[in-house]
Amino acid sequence: METSPAPAAGRPADTSGTVVEPGDGLPGTRRRRRGRRGAVIRVLQVVLAVAVLGGWELLTSLRVIDPFFFPRPSDIAVRIWEWISTGYILDDLAVTLEEALLAFVIGSVLGLVVGFLLARVSLLAGVLDPYLKMFNALPRVVLAPIFLLWFGLGIWSKVAFGVTLVFFIVFFNTFQGVRDVDRVLVDNVRMLGASEYHLVRHVLLPSALTWIFSSLHISAGFAITGAVVGEYLGAAKGVGYVIAQSEGVFDTTGVFAGMIILMLVVLVIDLLVNRLEALLLRWQDPAKTA
Amino acid sequence: MTDDSTAPAVQLKGCTRRFDTPSGGEYVAVRDVDLTIAPGRFVSIVGPTGCGKSTLLNMAAGLLEPSSGEVFGFGEPLRGLNRRASYMFQQDALLPWKTVRDNVALGLKMRGVASAEANERALHWLRRVGLEGFANRYPYQLSGGMRKRTTVAQTWIVDPDVLLMDEPFSALDIQTRQLMENELLQLWQGSNKAVLFVTHDLDEAIALSDEVVLLGVGPGSRVVGRYEVDLDRPRDLMDIRSRPEFVRIYEEIWSQLKEEVMKTYAKDSPALAK
Ligand SMILES: Nc1ncnc2c1ncn2[C@@H]1O[C@H](COP(=O)(O)OP(=O)(O)O)[C@@H](O)[C@H]1O
Ligand SMILES: [Mg+2]
Repeated sequence: METSPAPAAGRPADTSGTVVEPGDGLPGTRRRRRGRRGAVIRVLQVVLAVAVLGGWELLTSLRVIDPFFFPRPSDIAVRIWEWISTGYILDDLAVTLEEALLAFVIGSVLGLVVGFLLARVSLLAGVLDPYLKMFNALPRVVLAPIFLLWFGLGIWSKVAFGVTLVFFIVFFNTFQGVRDVDRVLVDNVRMLGASEYHLVRHVLLPSALTWIFSSLHISAGFAITGAVVGEYLGAAKGVGYVIAQSEGVFDTTGVFAGMIILMLVVLVIDLLVNRLEALLLRWQDPAKTA
Repeated sequence: MTDDSTAPAVQLKGCTRRFDTPSGGEYVAVRDVDLTIAPGRFVSIVGPTGCGKSTLLNMAAGLLEPSSGEVFGFGEPLRGLNRRASYMFQQDALLPWKTVRDNVALGLKMRGVASAEANERALHWLRRVGLEGFANRYPYQLSGGMRKRTTVAQTWIVDPDVLLMDEPFSALDIQTRQLMENELLQLWQGSNKAVLFVTHDLDEAIALSDEVVLLGVGPGSRVVGRYEVDLDRPRDLMDIRSRPEFVRIYEEIWSQLKEEVMKTYAKDSPALAK
């Protein structure tokens, strides 16, 4: 996020014209102190990681912990490196990501459209409300087997499963965001000549976007969860399938390696979502949202 | 649009507005209000807080229908929104996700003006209200006064025949406010636009207007006085308040407004009014 816009050109606007410079909130000394604190925290975080992984490594070498159930971190690291350097895992990772992406896109679009419709057409909301609540109350995992039967072992059973997870998050947030929109903003653009389409495009959608973004991290994670759980229950490809295979031959190192790869992938996705969020919500006052 | 040049720009005839209260009853905000604003006239509505000033403005805008009575715009009964009016709301109404320029250009773009031209005209208006160099800011990056200037540009750019303004400057500090009042008059002078200006500040109302309409306390507020303000135009707001004519009109209206204010107090806390 860019922090300091160009200094104001031209004449000062008015006597109360104190312009808020974003990112300029902290006086120098406080910022420096916060910077030092940050460094201390970083160091402590590394110390913690070294202690836990080192202790784990040591205790498994000494056979205090059974490496059959808790494989040595160094073995896991070697396995991850093997899988990546030989390209063994890449095909499966691509499949998992493809499923997750499809589930995410389809679930989000459906959630957006249905959320908008229900927020704008109160009759529809009234009629559908109990059914949506019932469906949302269903523990979603039980759908995986039936989707396997309906859509087969390929990617679509996993996509369908992911969609049921993503849809509700996006739907509820869109619904809330559209319902929650500031009345004055709506009146203002209507007085400026807005049609229903203008209203959606200039007010309702951007207003809902802030809500949708607050759920994006969760729904992206759910899309991956949907894909992996689906693969785990029945597939011929994917990281979930690899984990299930490793489990089948009591290869705990493989199970852990799969877990860690997934974890890293989700972290990267989270980072990308952060970037996107900072770009699309750059109009928000950082002081208010921090 | 057919234009009956003798017809008032805005006319409220016998307008009453009721609201449902949460307890299931009814609250009459304003009762039997007649109001006429000729084209090119600057009319202010003054009254204590909660007396129904915003309600009147909303009815003139077509955002709110009168429970009984009728609203006319240039002689035509109003159906839906008042298409010839712009509305400057009491609250902040800039779209927070649009830059200053995009906020100002919005009205033109929604009316089908090509994007490049709308942006060009928005920049022109930003120069007029003293905000060149701020076009790419977001509203949160502006001071309260600059946001009001942006709103002025946003509502004037569509060239409305009627301007509805709801306590537009009440949240500003006194210096900024006087500056903005002066600039508003400069914009309006010779524009032949009708202005309906709501304020709770009598001083401001007299300084700006051709006519001051006094609204009584609620519930069921009525118009309790109408005063012509025949001060010369163009006016210089910096020294107008010390002129004898101003003081005379001020005292005349204030004596009646005071009564209304005391009635409000009497209603809220009977002990105080004694
Ligand atoms: N939508 C509404 N529902 C119920 N009561 C309302 C509504 N709008 C206004 N009122 C009531 O009507 C009265 C007049 O309100 P308003 O026009 O906002 O007053 P003013 O602008 O003069 O302060 C107030 O008592 C207010 O509580
Ligand atoms: Mg009001």
